[in-house]
Amino acid sequence: MSFEQIIVSGNSDSLEESELSLLETLDHVLNRGLVIAGEITIAVADIDLIFIGLNVMLSSVETAQEVLRNRQAKTE
Amino acid sequence: MRLSPETPRPAEPEIETAHAEEFVEQLRCVADSLPSRINIDAQSVEQGLAKLVLTLIEFIRRLLEKQAVRRMEGGDLSPEQIEELGLALMHLEAKLQELKTQFGLADEDLNLDLGPIGRLI
Amino acid sequence: MKLYVYCLVEGMDELPHSLKGIAGAAVRLLSWEKVSLVVSEFAGDAVAVTRENALAHAAVVQGLLERTTPLPFRFGALVTEEQLQNYVSAKREALQVKLEQVRGCVEMSVKIISDRDWTEEPATNIGHEKPGTAFLSEKRREILGGEARAQEAKRVAGWLEGQVREVVREIDFKPNTTSKLIVASGYLVERVRLDEFRQKVAAARQHRPELHFLVSGPWAPYSFANIDLEFKTHFGVS
Repeated sequence: MSFEQIIVSGNSDSLEESELSLLETLDHVLNRGLVIAGEITIAVADIDLIFIGLNVMLSSVETAQEVLRNRQAKTE
Repeated sequence: MRLSPETPRPAEPEIETAHAEEFVEQLRCVADSLPSRINIDAQSVEQGLAKLVLTLIEFIRRLLEKQAVRRMEGGDLSPEQIEELGLALMHLEAKLQELKTQFGLADEDLNLDLGPIGRLI
Repeated sequence: MKLYVYCLVEGMDELPHSLKGIAGAAVRLLSWEKVSLVVSEFAGDAVAVTRENALAHAAVVQGLLERTTPLPFRFGALVTEEQLQNYVSAKREALQVKLEQVRGCVEMSVKIISDRDWTEEPATNIGHEKPGTAFLSEKRREILGGEARAQEAKRVAGWLEGQVREVVREIDFKPNTTSKLIVASGYLVERVRLDEFRQKVAAARQHRPELHFLVSGPWAPYSFANIDLEFKTHFGVS
C-alpha cells in the first residue's frame, strides 16, 4: 500500500483529518461495491465464508495447466 | 464543506468524530493489509494458488484452535490431552509459518479478499 | 486498451462536465439495456492502489451522487468493453432490482470504537505449564476475549439500529472483533431524511459516552451495491 507523501502546512489536526478522510474513502472504495467476476459463496453454519471470483479461479487453473505443460516440454 | 441553503445535499462526504486519532489508528490496520496492485485476472498463477490454499488452511487452523479452546473450556479433556492438543496446534502454526516463508508470502498476503463479504481472516 | 469502471447508473444521457478519472483520463458513458456505465480508458493490466487513484475513483462516483444514486464498483474494475457488456446483459435483472432499492438514497457510515479491554486475565500458573498447554491457554485468552468483543459489537449495533430504524431503508453491519473498532455499519438513508438520521445518531451518542463514534457521509451506496451473494452452498459445521 503506497501513500503519497501528505504535504500539509498547518497544525497536526488538519493532517489527521486529511488522513482520516483518506482512510474512510479507502474503506468504502476498496472493501465494498460491485465486482465483475463470477461468484460462488460458500457458507458454513450460516456464515458466508468463501467468495471466490470464478473468472480468477478459471484463468488460474487454465494457466496453471499451461505452465505445467511448458515445464514438461522443457524437461523432455 | 458546507453549501448554501439552496443546495439540498452536501457534495463531499463529511466526516464527524471527536476521536480522529483513534480512528486513524484503527483504520490504518485495515489499509495496511491491502494488495498493492489489483488485477482481476490473477497475476502470478503459482503464487496465487499457493495463497489460496494457504489461506484456506490458515482459516481451518484457526477454526481448530477455537474448537480446541471450546473443548478445554468444556472440561472434558484431561491435562494430557490438553498438552497433546496444544503441542499439535503449536506445530501446525509453525509449519504454516514455514510454508508462508517458502512461498514468499507475508501474513497480510494470506487474507482472501471476499468482495462483498470482506476478508476471510 | 481496457476500460476502468467507476459505477453504474440508471440510463443517463450526459455526464456532469467536470469529471476526471484515474490518471486524469476523460470519463464517459456507455449505455446498454436501460443502464449507463461510467468508464474511462486505462492503459495497463493492473491498477495501482494509490491514494491518488482511490481518490480519483471516489471523486467520480461522488460527482454523480448529486444527480442520481449510482451503484459504485469496487476499486480496480478493469475490463474490456465486451466483458462489461456481457456483465450488464447477464446481471440485467439483479442490477435493476438494486437500482430500485437504492433509488433516492445515500449511504451514511457509522464506526464505533470501544476502549474496553476484552482479554481475559492470564492464568496464574502460567510459568509452570507445559508448552502445549501454555500455548492453548494463551489462545484461550485471545479467543474468549474475541468472543466477548463480538457479543458487545452485536449489542451495540442492535442498539444503534433501534435508534435509527425509522429513517433507514437498509443496514449493512460489519462486525469487527479484532481491534478496538467494534462496529462499522453502513446505513441506506433516504435523502430527504438525512437530517433526521444525523439528529438521531447525535442523540444516541449522548447516551453512550463510553463509546467513540465516527459518522461519515453522504456516500454512494458502496455497501449496498453488491448483487453477488446469490448462490450459496451450505455446509453444516458447529
